[in-house]
This record gives sequence, structure tokens and C-alpha cells, in this order.
Amino acid sequence: MAVIRLGYVHVRVTDLAEARQHYEQTLGMDTVHEENGRTYLKSWDDDDHHSVVLEEGGVGLVKFGYKVTDDGTLETIESKVSSFGASCERMSKGDNAGVGDGLRITLPSEHVLELYSEVERLGTKVGKLNPDPWPRDLRGIGVPRINHALVTTEDPALLERFFRDVLSFRPAERLVAGDEDSDLVGSWMYCGDQPHDIAFVKGANGKLHHFAYEIDDWSALLRAGDIMSMDDVPIDFGPARHGITRGGTIYFFDPSGNRNEVFAGGYRTGPDFRPITWTMDQAARGINYTHREIDQDFLRVVT
Amino acid sequence: MKAVRVVPHDIEVWARPGESVVDALRRYGWRSPYKCRRGGCGACRAQLRAGELLYPRAVADSVLSATEQAAGACLPCRAVPLTDVVIDLGSQPLRAVLASSAPHKNPDPAEQEGP
Repeated sequence: MAVIRLGYVHVRVTDLAEARQHYEQTLGMDTVHEENGRTYLKSWDDDDHHSVVLEEGGVGLVKFGYKVTDDGTLETIESKVSSFGASCERMSKGDNAGVGDGLRITLPSEHVLELYSEVERLGTKVGKLNPDPWPRDLRGIGVPRINHALVTTEDPALLERFFRDVLSFRPAERLVAGDEDSDLVGSWMYCGDQPHDIAFVKGANGKLHHFAYEIDDWSALLRAGDIMSMDDVPIDFGPARHGITRGGTIYFFDPSGNRNEVFAGGYRTGPDFRPITWTMDQAARGINYTHREIDQDFLRVVT
Repeated sequence: MKAVRVVPHDIEVWARPGESVVDALRRYGWRSPYKCRRGGCGACRAQLRAGELLYPRAVADSVLSATEQAAGACLPCRAVPLTDVVIDLGSQPLRAVLASSAPHKNPDPAEQEGP
């Protein structure tokens, strides 16, 4: 049984038209479906129906979805969720456009996480037969695909235990304030061989810190930064390298204030990867290895 | 133009029509506390001591509710002065910066002036 990857992030936006301008024209995603005030979008290299849902009214995370393998995984996870003492319910085909039946879990951090194995495939823009490396008609940054999300939780140790015991994620990197379990400040966890598919740091329950798109490399990051300047997108920080995950990054904000990231690189993990530890005195280097200094608000500001 | 006075730093700048408090301060070289500059994160939250502010763009109720607004709370990154205003940043610092706002662009090259 296995969780494959982050499938979609569903966020609230204060103004749908402005949000669409950002996600379609600046980031380069395509709208694939609209219903009930929600806009569903995919990036060019996303194979499945959508990877971002925008819903007008407010700001912050509605829920996120992770795709699982189709081998009874959902039933196995359902029983593990109840043994853990968390709550979940069955989710029906059509609750999310293009997505089949699944499980809707309320995490110990109060975030809503959906798991599904069936999803309509709209296909990547380059196709699966003798494809080009990228499509010719990209807009803006032309983000290829969604990569990970980082959320906040009052109890990182509890959430890490949940992802490990229920969803079989492993920690790649851990930020600790001491040796006790309760001293865990953040954890970057993976389900495949990325450095992280989900991450969380200590903070308010139910909040979104950011969700990230994977892009090719440093050149793509710098070019993304150019597009952000052309479109006057507020930058949080970057381009810089993360100590944690070793990835390159720019953090920026959508027109409602939800934080996005473009992320490039990072090492590979796998089932035998031994977790890396960061101590709090080196947290700034862990987050921004290049500048070794972060605004205190970087960890506090969430939507 | 409306006067924007920031206390306790005792700085005064002039906001252009439609310009937010944060953007006016940036244009004069002052970096007040903000993060997203889009009214979503609340990092810029301050107190309005005098005058009136307008929010031309929607701000989420979870970030600034009507009650908080009535009690004087404001989000300088999205708030546009309707009158001369006094904004209290409390113990938050103002930093001197050189900031560039979004440039005016001529989409049609034929409209461009100059040599």
C-alpha cells in the first residue's frame, strides 16, 4: 500500500478573477473545469485532471489531496486512521471534479486531507508518444507540475507520527529544539523518493504555509523571478538555496496572500534514507542556506 | 494626494489617488512591516488613529473582520487613504529602503515617448 504524491491543493481566494490571472498568466496553468464558483487548473506536465482548485471567498487552505495506489490501500488506511484515533469519512466520486471515490481524513492538525486512487486523466501537454521535452505554447513561468505543501500544526510530533504510522511517510529532515519528542519544530516527510511530499512546522492548526511547484533548475528559477518582477508578484524570499532538501527556491504570494513556491532540485530519498537533523541555532541556514538569515515572519505568516 | 502620517516614528508621506499606505511609504523609501502585500497574511496589521481608509480590493474576513476594523485595526498593504490619515505601527520598525513599484508600461511601442 502506498501514497504516490501530492495530487491537488484546494485554496480560497478573495478575488477569483485576479487569482486566475496569477495562476493562468503568471504561473502558466490551464483552467480545465469550472463549477460552483470553483476553478480547477492543471499544469502542463500534470497527467491527472487538476492540481489546483481556486474557490472564491476568504483565503487559505480548504483541503489537499494525495493520490494512492489502487490495491486496497484506501481500506487499509481507513482502518489505520481509526486505530490512530483520528476521524475520516468516505468521499464520493464527483465531490471533486474528475476525482473518484476516496477517503477524507481530518488530520490531528485539523487540515482536511483527501486520498483517492481514481482520477480522470487529461494527459500532459506533450503526450506519451515520442514527446517533446516541453510544449511550445507555455505562458509565463510555465510551471510543469505541483510538488509539495507545507502546513502548520500545534503538535509536529503528533502529525509526524500520523504520517508515519497511518500513511507510511518517512521523515527526510527534522528541525528540533531538543531531544524530547515535544521538541520537534518541523518535519519534511516523503512517500516516494523526493526529499518531501508534505512538510509541517509548529504553528496554528489548519493553516497553509505554502504549496510548491517543481521547476527544472536554477535557470528556470531565475527566469521565474523575471516573470514575477514583470507581473509585480510580491516575493517573500529567493532565489536562494534551502539547506533543508538542498532545493533552490523562490517564495512568493498569490493575489490573495496565499504563499506559493517554485522549487528546483533537491536530492533523492527512498526507503533506506536516514533522516537529517537540523538544530534550531541553524534553522535560518536550513531554510535559507544562501543568506543564513530569515525574517521571523517567514515562519509565522500563514493563510 | 492624502497625507499619511506614521506614528510613533513621526514620518509623513503623500499617497497618490488609489495608492495603498504600504506603497506610498515604499515610494518614499520606507519599509513598514508586511509580507504578502495582498491583504492575506495580516503581517502588516496596524492601528488607524485618524482619518478614513478604503479597501478597493476584497480582504478576507478571517484576516480583518468588520469588528476589528471598527475598533481601528487596518491592513496598510491594502488600505487606501480616503482622507489624510494617521497610522500607528506601535513597536514595529520602519526601515529605510530603495524600493521599486510596478513600472508604468506602454503595451503599444508606438505610444512610447522619447528618443
